[in-house]
Amino acid sequence: MRNVMTVFKKEIYRVISDKRLVLTVFIVPGLSIFLIYSLMGTIISSQMTEAETHTAKIYAEHLPSSIETIMDDQMRYEIVEETYTRDELETMILEGNLDLVMIFDEDFTAQIEAYQGSALPSIEVLYNQSEQHSQGAFSRFQGVMATFHEQVIIERLENPEDYQVYTLSPSNIMDERAAAGAGFAMLMPMLIVIFLFAGAMSIGPDAIAGEKERGTIATLLVRPVKRSSIALGKVLSLAVLSLLSALSSFIGIILSLPRLMQMDDNLPDVSIYGVSEYLLILALLMSTVLFIVALISILSAYAKTIKEASMLIMPFYFIAIIVGVMNSFGADTSDAALVHLIPIYGPINVLSGILMFDFMLINLIITILSSLLYTAILIVVLNKMFSSEKIMFQK
Amino acid sequence: MYELVVKDIKKTFTLSKKQQKIEKTDQKRKVAVDKLSFTAHPGEIYGLLGPNGAGKTTALRCISTLIKPDEGDININGLSVKHDSLEIRKHIAFLTSELKLDDFFTPNYLFRYFSNLHGLDEATMHERKAKLFNRFGIEKFQEVKVGDLSTGMKQKLSIAIALVHDPAIIIFDEPTNGLDILTARSVINYLLEMKTEGKTIIISTHILDVVEKLCDKVGIIIDGTLQVDGTLSSIKTNSKDGTLETLFFDLMEEKVGEDHA
Repeated sequence: MRNVMTVFKKEIYRVISDKRLVLTVFIVPGLSIFLIYSLMGTIISSQMTEAETHTAKIYAEHLPSSIETIMDDQMRYEIVEETYTRDELETMILEGNLDLVMIFDEDFTAQIEAYQGSALPSIEVLYNQSEQHSQGAFSRFQGVMATFHEQVIIERLENPEDYQVYTLSPSNIMDERAAAGAGFAMLMPMLIVIFLFAGAMSIGPDAIAGEKERGTIATLLVRPVKRSSIALGKVLSLAVLSLLSALSSFIGIILSLPRLMQMDDNLPDVSIYGVSEYLLILALLMSTVLFIVALISILSAYAKTIKEASMLIMPFYFIAIIVGVMNSFGADTSDAALVHLIPIYGPINVLSGILMFDFMLINLIITILSSLLYTAILIVVLNKMFSSEKIMFQK
Repeated sequence: MYELVVKDIKKTFTLSKKQQKIEKTDQKRKVAVDKLSFTAHPGEIYGLLGPNGAGKTTALRCISTLIKPDEGDININGLSVKHDSLEIRKHIAFLTSELKLDDFFTPNYLFRYFSNLHGLDEATMHERKAKLFNRFGIEKFQEVKVGDLSTGMKQKLSIAIALVHDPAIIIFDEPTNGLDILTARSVINYLLEMKTEGKTIIISTHILDVVEKLCDKVGIIIDGTLQVDGTLSSIKTNSKDGTLETLFFDLMEEKVGEDHA
């Protein structure tokens, strides 16, 4: 046990005393996530604002004043004064110089008023779906025409009150805590697993494959240290460092969420969760990170170089991402106990449950115990690998 | 006082395709050492002399418990490398240029780290450090990262670090390889000092001069098998002209032909 601590402390010291590693493991992940997500949020919001404040350029022929009044109410627009041929109009729409063309029948209003079941008056509209502003102008114009349509119908009815056929009284009785929790549950489990993996990937290969590559592992193996102490010391230190690295990413995402989600600069309210939820999450993450780190350690011990280790880890990283994405965008969390035996999937599933205030204690226990069991098995394998001359000294 | 007995050890390696090409052979397995036996006593330096690829390093790796012999065994005071490797590692130091120190750490940090792994208490650690750092002139750069040290300095530090626990047996693979004359001389002097302290020392080398200067007993190893084993003076009597050099080249010629000799 003493040697486990000695190896543990050395591995931790190796990272935290190296400015370059502190930067790449603890600062850069959080900072880059914060910057990227904030930038994405800013771009999305500026695009949305631009779309909302855009003044649509419209070419109109015989625009009835009744419709123009509604348009004044519902959209920003300016009418192009010049006259163009049909071909010219199409070109202008295609090139984005004009957002919408509307050609009403010359006696549109008269036809509407004189309607006796005869032919319908028509409006010809040109727009370009692939142009954001043209598409926006068209959909607003559809809104305008819906209002106009409603006005005409009401006018045609003998009793205008008949237009109203029911009253609707909706009450949103959502549990705000659960609703906020559902939001977290969609995003966080996937991100947390990715962060834990990424954190472990940034230091694991160097701590084991790197020692093989640099020839420092033999210096350690020739000492009276049990291979299991080396394995345990490495795995535990990597677990702590990976958790810290994931925490950095986590802070980055929490700080960037307001801008990403256009939440008026209010930080997401993580206080909806109490101490018990946080403790459960911590216990879950500890067992999960141990499994991830043990897996990465084995792959790193097998690899001859850091580069090879990184390549071997990649497929497992992708699998973890896919499992995470499936949880975010896929089916509901499962309550079946057996699925919680599946590494990575189980923890993500339970984490979603905890964040939504809806999980079964037995599933949490199964998940944690199975993760610890898998970790123990992996550490036994790692111990064997450290004892194998073929794996340790193969050139 | 620890006696080291190597008894009939055999070690075979599987060759990769790449190694087969380098060795110019179609055989998948290579016998690195075969039926190797010798004994090294306390207060004695035993030298394994042989050309490159003769199996010297493999033999030393077996003694230092990094690899296990396929057949035979090595005993150190009744402990077997096959079954008591952890216990044996408490009493040996293995030195080779292949065992590296992490560039990032300082001599002070590494000395403490390896002392801790050997379970040394604080006072013993300080005492050993003062002695070894003074002996090899490491004090001046004890807070300089290994990566910033010269090759000679690194080699001296490696020796100091290997000896933190005051081992009874010192195994040194090619002790003067890659060293400048000054460092090589100080290493040789130190080994002689250790001998007078009663340590059991085994070295491997392909340099005849090193054997002449250092060794009490010599084993000449060619192609994995021991050709001659005895005290330096006794084996010289087998030589035509009484020199180690003539004996060595005669053996080489006899074993692998003149081309290789």
